[in-house]
Amino acid sequence: MLDAFSRAVISADASTSVVGDIDALKSFIASGNRRLDAVNAIASNASCMVSDAVAGMICENQGLIQAGGNCYPNRRMAACLRDAEIILRYVTYALLAGDASVLDDRCLNGLKETYAALGVPTSSTVRAVQIMKAQAAAHIKDTPSEARAGSKLRKMGAPVVEDRCASLVAEASSYFDRVISALS
Amino acid sequence: MKSVVTTVIAAADAAGRFPSTSDLESVQGSIQRSAARLEAAEKLAANLDAVAKEAYDACIKKYPYLNNEGEANSNDTFKAKCQRDVKHYMRLLQYCLVVGGTGPLDEWGIAGQREVYRALGLPTAPYVEALSFARNRGCSPRDMSAQALTEYNALLDYAINSLS
Repeated sequence: MLDAFSRAVISADASTSVVGDIDALKSFIASGNRRLDAVNAIASNASCMVSDAVAGMICENQGLIQAGGNCYPNRRMAACLRDAEIILRYVTYALLAGDASVLDDRCLNGLKETYAALGVPTSSTVRAVQIMKAQAAAHIKDTPSEARAGSKLRKMGAPVVEDRCASLVAEASSYFDRVISALS
Repeated sequence: MKSVVTTVIAAADAAGRFPSTSDLESVQGSIQRSAARLEAAEKLAANLDAVAKEAYDACIKKYPYLNNEGEANSNDTFKAKCQRDVKHYMRLLQYCLVVGGTGPLDEWGIAGQREVYRALGLPTAPYVEALSFARNRGCSPRDMSAQALTEYNALLDYAINSLS
């Protein structure tokens, strides 16, 4: 498992040179608190995000919860919720480390084959991941949709910076995209 | 590679939970300290050749017998290799400063070190002298800030201890 710093070291070692791009690491440190806030925003809303993503996926494809569907009966629905949480958890780890290696090594490696063997429909999984991606962006930006959330609206209320952590939103989105491309 | 962040993630993963507040606190502590490390890494990277050359010269000065016929520093090829070795240690040390742990030095420098030097018939005392020279050469605030120098010297001490 690597983080942003050890990734820089590994790539410098490949050419037996010193780590030259210290400025990139300095900016990683400078935005360190934002990154921790972003991780906290996802971790604090995790169960809400997971259940919403799976519920949204089922809403769009009711066949999943009818007899013969992949979320029927409860036992399989529970497995689905568990998997969504696992994927979200590894994305959170990757966001904390600033590097995708933990996500790749411990979550995505062989996931597609496992799902193929278990008969889990990829398109539905991808849809749930896409919903989580949108949720993560909203929580990092701290702009959850008031119209849709209604009484369940949750805001982190952390001091918000001008660009609403655009770079971290982009980074988190890239990890979700990594999951999606690994599955499809 | 082992660092504060990867250790925290490994522990959270083993427990199957999201990063907790205390996990984030640990990472924040590491981030706060890393400014000094990166300063030292930056200064060392900028002067790597000069630092390595000085250290190498110092160890040859202390052990002039190395220039004798058949010794480790007796011809130009050997001289270049000795200098390369010292530079190699300084490079690994810079990696350690970047990562914030001794991982790179442990994995790429110290593991198998004794066996290699034995097989090649190289003495370790000159390496110790070269690193010790570097250890005492750094000066704050001329070279870097006091905190950065402390981080740098601590890693040099670690490398010296591994050789002695």
